[in-house]
Amino acid sequence: MSGPTLFFSTLMADETKTIARGLQRRDPDLLDRLIEQYQYRLFRYLVYITGNKARAEDFFQETWIRVLERGHQYNGKSKFEAWLFAIARNLVIDWQRSKKAQSLDTLTDPEQEHPLQFADENDPSPLRQVLSQETEENVQASLQKIPAIYREVLVLRFQEELQIDEMAGVLSIPLSTVKSRLYRGLEALRGALQGGAAS
Amino acid sequence: MNENTHQRALQLIAQARVEGMPETDRTWLRAHLEDCDFCAEHARQTDRALRLLRTAAIPVPAGLAGRTQFRVLWLACGMSWIFGVASAPYVWSLFQWLGQRTGVPKLVWEVGFGLWWSIPALFAVAVLLMESSRKGEQADWINQGS
Repeated sequence: MSGPTLFFSTLMADETKTIARGLQRRDPDLLDRLIEQYQYRLFRYLVYITGNKARAEDFFQETWIRVLERGHQYNGKSKFEAWLFAIARNLVIDWQRSKKAQSLDTLTDPEQEHPLQFADENDPSPLRQVLSQETEENVQASLQKIPAIYREVLVLRFQEELQIDEMAGVLSIPLSTVKSRLYRGLEALRGALQGGAAS
Repeated sequence: MNENTHQRALQLIAQARVEGMPETDRTWLRAHLEDCDFCAEHARQTDRALRLLRTAAIPVPAGLAGRTQFRVLWLACGMSWIFGVASAPYVWSLFQWLGQRTGVPKLVWEVGFGLWWSIPALFAVAVLLMESSRKGEQADWINQGS
């Protein structure tokens, strides 16, 4: 391992251990700092997996309450954001299960006969409402076309820049499944954008 | 070039972006893309798609972090209060035992027990008051500046 790489990995390990110790003490200053620091990334992830801004706001708050309650379970061996996203994802799945008695995967698996989406059908275009106006319009439309399980892996890999093994931890699925979803998601994104550009 | 060559190139284009690829494959792909317009266009479209995904911005609602911090703080206080109430009989017994061991008058260890609860609460109130006064001064300063 090269000098700078070793330096940054040591720095990161120290940071995760500090977070783990703070969460075990339920340190309010640390929680304040983490909420500030991860607000954008967590909210973006929740918007992408729920497809609904208001719901993402609710889950955002619930996620941090869960972090407060279960902070002692974070051991500092993995990235904090991977643990945070796993908590957020589990909350969304629990909510979906209580609502529909189905998991995230079955709700959004495009291979199912009637794949369901997180967004309400009555809601005209939730992602469109929250994506910035500065973003190219066809990106918004294209993301809508991609099934949630693919959208989720694309966000974790290319926006959050998680490693594939970290994603497997967040999603609780094998590495091979993460990879296959990434390949399919990438193809779906490219195809959707190409279609959007053509239309 | 046959169909298999293009298939391999398309597979490597995705692999490079998803999980990386060995140097030998990278060299082969580079050479192929120089000769094949179709695969080169595919690579460009893939990169464009990823670039657009990375730059797609979702604004965070104003005050979301503040509202969450407030909720989390109150919950933390609530949890702390529940813990305090649940542990009160044990703390009382501890003070009583210490009072008997050291022979101090009953009133002294009872006052000690009272201070054990009131000092952290008074300290927390003082911190909250100082914090709100600091925020008030900051707001005045910002208003004056604007």
